[in-house]
Amino acid sequence: MSEAKRHMGLKASRALSNTAIHALLIIMSVIWLIPFICIVLQSFRVESTGPVGYVVPHQWGVDNYTKLFQTDFPKWYMNTFIAALITAVLQTVIVLCMSYTLSRFRFKMRQPLMRFMLILGMFPGMLSMIILYRILKDLGLTQANAVPGLILVYIASSGMGYYVSKGFFDTIPMSLDEAARVDGATRAQILYKIILPLSKPIVIYTVLTAFMGPWGDYVFARYISFGTSSGMNVAVGLYNWLNKDQIANSYTMFCAGGVLVAVPVTVLFMCLQKYYVEGVTGGAVKG
Amino acid sequence: MAQISDLEFLRLSKAQKTGYKIRRFFTGIPKAIASFFLAVWHAIQKAGKAVGREISEIGTTFKEGDWKTKLSFLVMGFGSLARGQILRGILFLLFEIIFIGYMILSGGYWLSMLPSLGTQGPTKEYNALLDVTVTQYHDNSFQILLYGVLTIFFIVAFIYTWRVNIRQNRMAEKILATGKPLKSGKEDLHSLVDDQFHKTLMALPLTGILIFTVLPIFFMILVAFTNYDGTHNGYTNNLFTWVGLDNFNTLLSWDVTGGAGTQSYAATFGEVLLWTLIWAFFATFTNYFLGMFVAMAINKKGIRFKKGWRTILVLTIAIPQFISLLYVSKMFAKNGIINGFLMDMGWIKTALPFWEKPNWARITVILINIWIGIPYLMLITTGILMNIPADLYESARIDGANAWQQYRKITLPYMLFVTGPYLLTSFTGNMNNFNVIFLLTGGAPTNPAASSAAGAVGYTDLLITWLFKITTGAESQYYLASVIGILVFVVVALISLIVYNVMPSIKNEEDFR
Amino acid sequence: MKKVLALILTLALVVSSCVVASAESLAGTYDITLWVAEKAVDLTKQQIADFNASNELGIVFNATVEPVSEADAATQMITDVEAGGDIFCFAQDQFARLVQAGALAPLGEGAAAFVKENNDAGTVAAAISGDTVYAYPLTADNGYFMYYDKSVIPEEDVDSLEKLIADCEAAQKYFAFEMQSSAWYLASFFFATGCVSEWETDDDGNFISVHDTFNSPEGLIAVKGMEKLVKSDFHLSSSSGSEFSSNAAIVVTGTWDYETVKGILGDNMGVTDLPSFEVDGKEYHLGSFNGCKLLGVKPQVDAYKLAALHQLARYLTGEKCQQERFEALSWGPSNLTVQASDAVQANPGLAALIAQSPYSVPQCQIHGSWWDIAKVIGDDVKNAEDEAGLQQALDNYYDKIASLFTLSDDVKFGWTVIGAVNGTMWDNDFAMTKGDDGVWKSNDAFEMEAGTEFKVRQGLSWDNNFPAENFKVEEAGTYYVLFNEATGEVSLSAE
Repeated sequence: MSEAKRHMGLKASRALSNTAIHALLIIMSVIWLIPFICIVLQSFRVESTGPVGYVVPHQWGVDNYTKLFQTDFPKWYMNTFIAALITAVLQTVIVLCMSYTLSRFRFKMRQPLMRFMLILGMFPGMLSMIILYRILKDLGLTQANAVPGLILVYIASSGMGYYVSKGFFDTIPMSLDEAARVDGATRAQILYKIILPLSKPIVIYTVLTAFMGPWGDYVFARYISFGTSSGMNVAVGLYNWLNKDQIANSYTMFCAGGVLVAVPVTVLFMCLQKYYVEGVTGGAVKG
Repeated sequence: MAQISDLEFLRLSKAQKTGYKIRRFFTGIPKAIASFFLAVWHAIQKAGKAVGREISEIGTTFKEGDWKTKLSFLVMGFGSLARGQILRGILFLLFEIIFIGYMILSGGYWLSMLPSLGTQGPTKEYNALLDVTVTQYHDNSFQILLYGVLTIFFIVAFIYTWRVNIRQNRMAEKILATGKPLKSGKEDLHSLVDDQFHKTLMALPLTGILIFTVLPIFFMILVAFTNYDGTHNGYTNNLFTWVGLDNFNTLLSWDVTGGAGTQSYAATFGEVLLWTLIWAFFATFTNYFLGMFVAMAINKKGIRFKKGWRTILVLTIAIPQFISLLYVSKMFAKNGIINGFLMDMGWIKTALPFWEKPNWARITVILINIWIGIPYLMLITTGILMNIPADLYESARIDGANAWQQYRKITLPYMLFVTGPYLLTSFTGNMNNFNVIFLLTGGAPTNPAASSAAGAVGYTDLLITWLFKITTGAESQYYLASVIGILVFVVVALISLIVYNVMPSIKNEEDFR
Repeated sequence: MKKVLALILTLALVVSSCVVASAESLAGTYDITLWVAEKAVDLTKQQIADFNASNELGIVFNATVEPVSEADAATQMITDVEAGGDIFCFAQDQFARLVQAGALAPLGEGAAAFVKENNDAGTVAAAISGDTVYAYPLTADNGYFMYYDKSVIPEEDVDSLEKLIADCEAAQKYFAFEMQSSAWYLASFFFATGCVSEWETDDDGNFISVHDTFNSPEGLIAVKGMEKLVKSDFHLSSSSGSEFSSNAAIVVTGTWDYETVKGILGDNMGVTDLPSFEVDGKEYHLGSFNGCKLLGVKPQVDAYKLAALHQLARYLTGEKCQQERFEALSWGPSNLTVQASDAVQANPGLAALIAQSPYSVPQCQIHGSWWDIAKVIGDDVKNAEDEAGLQQALDNYYDKIASLFTLSDDVKFGWTVIGAVNGTMWDNDFAMTKGDDGVWKSNDAFEMEAGTEFKVRQGLSWDNNFPAENFKVEEAGTYYVLFNEATGEVSLSAE
């Protein structure tokens, strides 16, 4: 085979494989979007309020959204939003501290500490809830004050989720640090001036995951808010509408609430994706 | 099985090599376990020796120290204060005062109640005048246990700090003896952003972990040795107390109490555990490889709308699981839209039993979990994939490697290296993946044989959802849930240890640098 | 520290109860929390305002009303009784659990008499454990009946299960009856053939015995009937009214789904009692559980607040409030006067419930584990291949029920001390050990005051107990309890 022919063959096969991948991605998108679209459609249904077996509403309208604002939903939404915002900031700080330390420093307790945290992660957290509830209760952070309590618990143990970002820091060459050390920078300066600017993708990744967590938390949030509507987050509040005596009145409202919950995360991701991808491709790591 | 030499190994065919490796892995397991216990034993011995050394060192410090040091044994930080290290001295002294104050005011009470967990339950008294029965509450077993544990933590912290205080005296004396000056408070502070920067960075995260993770786990382990349940809630009905190993005997017993056709606790536990492991394996690896594949597909040169595809996938993350999963669960119901669609198309005559038959339900949850997991994995792997140096691929292409070979030789090893620990945590995370099972099936279909075990176990129940059913079930057997929690831990820990020891990113952490 | 506090509280209580002597002293403002179903929140607020305005005792409640579903209230309460609502509504199946958890304050004599006098007998039974009334009946509509789609099911077929199944299969529509995940619905077939599962509780909500005839020739007939339904390809194990929009033609559920079904089916909605099934040429009309919702008062430290709360509970479950609830929410009343009113009798949802009522069984108290044990019968029957398989399902069920009460020989024949000892109130058994001389001796010494009463009993039950009258301690001290099995003599010993 001549060089030119081979080149053309390669081109053709690449075009073919790209078409196949495009087709695959389209099919995937459809599968991934179906439940999302169904939920959105349900939220615009006005002819009935219970769950139904068809997808496209017979009558369209925004009644469910307007009704939402006459319930406690805005309160729940704000609770969750505040919790998510504060958690996103603090958790990112903590995770980065932890993973940076474990990636960059070599101290005596490092290996045992990592192992210890790994082991801690293996205990099922379900039972801890009972105890955490009691601790928070004694601190006065349950029921109506559930939001600060929830934030406290979310961030307190977040140091254990250092794996992904440590993996990222590990890929940033040590030589950068060493060069800076030679120039007389302190450890703290190296972190702020050299490492962090290179770490945009992982920072954004951590912020995103931390921000998303509180929106879906049901079991623990329910425990902490404990029968007090003003302390609930969206998951607990909305989930209560699925009770058998409530679902017939509230199912479409439940869907509308779900759509509104999805908005901030989606918007955030759409805005950050630019930085996210740019950060990764234009980032510092060049081998 | 005997190990063969490198030369013999190289002579084997590819399939034989793989087979050999697999066999080596499994035959190595007993040895790995044995070496684990050996390591534990060594660690204990080492710890024992270390304690002995510490004590003798404390002795020498006292014997050889000056009066400042000797007084520091009683008044923490005195030595530091006397030698001009004001900041350290004040911190030590403050800690001692707080500790003593706490022990006198409440720590002593909790500690003294810990062995009994309380003696006086609530009392009821009929008030004839008002025709009501008034309840008076007394001891609270739960609180005693919690604060008892907290007090023990505090005492340990105190002993450690006391020891540091002593060691500092010793060191200060040595430094002074060589004629050098001691570190000033300002220098101490500066070192916290430089030499000791890691301590600054980790102080807050570790405190959080200690109080909100370690303490609850410690407490949970203790609960397994009590009779804490719905009828002994420790405060409003009966107090709970220590029962020794009774609960472990119950759960690990092979006695069948529910009659023919039913299982013992141990058998039920085994069955649920097996499914939990199968689930964790598939949930982890299907997501990992498919997620990586999708990320690579989107990253590929020539693919358009990269951002668009990612956004679509992320939309599914954006909708909280408790909404989307409940909806998906309904879609797969006997009369859900999937069965409806298939029947309308004439492909099936009667509905497919997605949630009705044990194996159908198990496969369905794994498939739906792929739907949930791919977007996450796509997000994680996209970043890491882009970090793979492009020249590696370039040189591979020049060498004539095809796409699959590039993947095998470059992408996969790199990914496994960077995400190795993530894979392991993801595996353990999946073992404890409560949301997916709880929201999709709630454990259904029920397992008739296991229904006499607390909480009515279903075929898709994981240990964690079973545990949840036990605590919220008819009898709220927290103690049993604790035992299961401990056993879950033991299983996961064993698996992790084995994996941890063969994982490249731990062994060769400094590679790829 | 805690002990000192408790002492002060007790003293304060003694002093205050000596000084004040009339019920008027209930006057005052109380901050309370109520847990009611979300639908009923506004109405309840209104009713409390009415109570504040109308009561002659001068009680003013400053109430926070939280929406907590009745199905959920008990689980929430048990999590943390201290922080729970002062008054809360719950479904009756949670009753025993709540009593056991110490989450319900027993009613005084006056209140108990009021409850017994004014409410439907079935709902009163649901509020009693042992001989103690623990809650106020709130509704009596927690039962189920059949909704059907008139456009699919001909009216003349609604009395026969077999015809209904055939109609559904012919129309490729589903027959929704929750057979595989709910013992509450599944029991319907057993009640049809006259089987019973009757449980007995003591004053503290503990289950002490059961009379269960599910595993019997009648039970076998019941599962044969059940088999016809669950083996149909068009049986759906669900009890949600919304199934009508997903291809269901029949749904067995309760009044709470009335609006949903009406919304979906409109004029095609049919409501009727459950059908009959036929085995060996004999007809059996499906039975049902007849349950209710209850309202409970949480135990309180403050006698006055407690008495005031009981006043409110009485008001909220009285005739006037039940009437209002029926009018606003269509909740079926437990109050006899309201029940008898024409409006209630004419309500279409309740009418079906009333039509079903000759075949229904009051739910009373049922062991929490029963629901888990019984619900698998549905799956067992579905998987059974022949009559032996059906019998096996019943045998399994029976063994599991029996094992709930099995005691080891050590426990069955062992003796224990029970009474007002060690801070317990006749609710804890203290172990005894048999000595070489054949005399049983308590494992622990008890601090007893003069007048402390206790008994010694065998096998944790009252079948054998000594002495006939409670043993009374004459002189305060720390004693071991001795018991001579041969003579039945109880004595105390300092060592």
